[in-house]
Amino acid sequence: MATLQVTDLHVSVADEEAKTTKEILKGVNLTMNTGETHAIMGPNGTGKSTLSETIMGNPKYLVTQGDVTLDGVSLLDKTVDERARAGLFLAMQYPAEIKGITNSEFMRAAVNATRPEDDPISVRAFLKELDKNLSILNMSDDMAERYLNEGFSGGEKKRNEILQLMTIKPKFAILDEIDSGLDIDALQVVSKGVNEMKSPDFGVLMITHYQRLLNYIHPDQVHVMMGGRIVKTGDDSLAQELEKTGYAGLRDEFGLDVDLVDEDVPAGNGGR
Amino acid sequence: MLKSAVLDMNPALLKSSTFANEPKWLADLRQRAWGKIESLEMPVFAKINYHSWPLLKLAADPSVNVSVPKEVTEEAKNYHLATIGQIVAKLDLNDELKKKGVILCDMQTAIQEHPDLVKQYLFTKSIHFDENRLVAVDAALINGGAFLYVPHDVEISDPINLLQFQDSRQATNFINHTVIVAGENSRFKVLQRSATVGEVANPAHIMVEIVAENGSYVKFSALDSLATQTHAYINRRGYLEKDARIDWTIGLFNDGNTIADFDSDLVGIGSHTEMQTVAISTDRQTQGIDTQVTNYAAHSEGNILQRGILLGASSLVFNGIGKIIKGAHGSKAQQENRVLMLSPKARGDANPILLIDENDVIAGHAASVGRINQDQLYYLMSRGLTKEVAQRLVARGFLGVVLSDIPMVEVRDQMVAMIERKLVNGQGTE
Repeated sequence: MATLQVTDLHVSVADEEAKTTKEILKGVNLTMNTGETHAIMGPNGTGKSTLSETIMGNPKYLVTQGDVTLDGVSLLDKTVDERARAGLFLAMQYPAEIKGITNSEFMRAAVNATRPEDDPISVRAFLKELDKNLSILNMSDDMAERYLNEGFSGGEKKRNEILQLMTIKPKFAILDEIDSGLDIDALQVVSKGVNEMKSPDFGVLMITHYQRLLNYIHPDQVHVMMGGRIVKTGDDSLAQELEKTGYAGLRDEFGLDVDLVDEDVPAGNGGR
Repeated sequence: MLKSAVLDMNPALLKSSTFANEPKWLADLRQRAWGKIESLEMPVFAKINYHSWPLLKLAADPSVNVSVPKEVTEEAKNYHLATIGQIVAKLDLNDELKKKGVILCDMQTAIQEHPDLVKQYLFTKSIHFDENRLVAVDAALINGGAFLYVPHDVEISDPINLLQFQDSRQATNFINHTVIVAGENSRFKVLQRSATVGEVANPAHIMVEIVAENGSYVKFSALDSLATQTHAYINRRGYLEKDARIDWTIGLFNDGNTIADFDSDLVGIGSHTEMQTVAISTDRQTQGIDTQVTNYAAHSEGNILQRGILLGASSLVFNGIGKIIKGAHGSKAQQENRVLMLSPKARGDANPILLIDENDVIAGHAASVGRINQDQLYYLMSRGLTKEVAQRLVARGFLGVVLSDIPMVEVRDQMVAMIERKLVNGQGTE
């Protein structure tokens, strides 16, 4: 069993135009083990993506306090590629498009990155694995030979993130809004891919706005994030409760001083 | 002017370049060009000062080595014509093509066996012998190259592959001139591969003239990898008649200093060219590349794409020149020049130049000089690739957009390997 632990994490981002920094995360605590599925829910602008990018090691985010550890070893001084090789994976909201490199050669390079230099995966074994994963995700064979995310639709990009996840087989995967922009069929397919990965040696952290995703990938724990902190943790039923009461109810319950982006939008402004 | 841009006008140079049994018209052409050399200017490459390069440091008493090294014989097996200096290492054109009237041979043989055809196209349409000093030198001293003639209505599905080695096992002059003629409505692909054997520092002059007659379609690709000690002048030019088309894909991977001029003259109505060039500069190398399309005729279209990567303390300048002559109404000229800097010590430039003398046209350009995209780098690294590998993949992807246009898989693989080698070496020096 492996453990990913976030302790009292404070993170700031620099606003290059204003030449100031802004604190986004204000003390996040979270512990996950392999074999577990966690979900983080929360309103827009509350720091969910900041948390996932910080765990992965995006250099744009500055940790000012606290720690992120994998099996007790701090990740903070490790670069993003070192963290990936240690077993972390982030399915990104906006994957980069890169012309001239095929999906398949990229994934093979990624698989080989965690293997000894003199023992790369055989082409045959790699292709066999790739074919299996393509078929689980309802992706056509030519997706593997297309340039990395180049000209992919939103849904194809999300599938491609899951394809990489299944091929690279990390210890922990963070799925950052993997459900956004997916229709119901695509959501089912993507969920199928993630569920296929379930094992005692694999843990998932899903970041989402909507309870919908959790109907397909059942979490063991649901965390609600607001104002840069995790304010409540519960089981599956917490997500359903949120769906009914919205985040405002929870905020008021805890008496939090948090602005919700869409709160003041009037129901209609026809009388203007 | 510096001494190195001046040719030592030793008549022995002319004599050593002369082909056996040379016809009088060629001897006359050489004489006329010879007589003009001193009065002509060196060609201008904007923002590149190459006047101290020993491009005209030619050997008055060059020696010829008739032995063919093993690396040439091995490399030659995928090619129809392979030459090393003036020596033919291989010529193999199938009978079916010969029966259709296709001619392929080295320049010396062409002049002996097909003098009238060569006379009709050599320095008559694409390139004029008195354009500048370097061209005049090449017209006077041409000593090798290839001749490919595809008659009207002949279509060839497999590419015609030319392998041309500069022989630097000793002091020689490599004035290599290739003429490609596409008869009316012919269609074919040509691949030109040039490289150096040997360690001697000789300049290289490589010229290619393509005459595309009415309705013909030529796909020309080239991969150049001349040696570090070779200073190169490369000039490839297309002359396009009515509704003709030439697609150029050129990989410039020389290790030495290079000036290159790639031009298409859209002379016929409805003619069309796509010109793609990719290049890498490393170490202390300087490369200046001009790609020019001139729209002379109405409804002609020319598009330029140039991409380059810089490493070490190298320089790379791309000038993209789109010129539209008055009367070429309804014509199009687009260009894109992009330079990627992988070293803080390198100097890169991408200059679009549009010279338009007609109102009813569509023309545009995009240019950028930039560093590697950080989002792409982060994405690749987030999958476990080291920064060096991720950088190389992004860089390779940046140049790799032209790979699918190179018809021979072996040459594609060579190009990928060259990119990889140059990137690895370049990263090592930083």
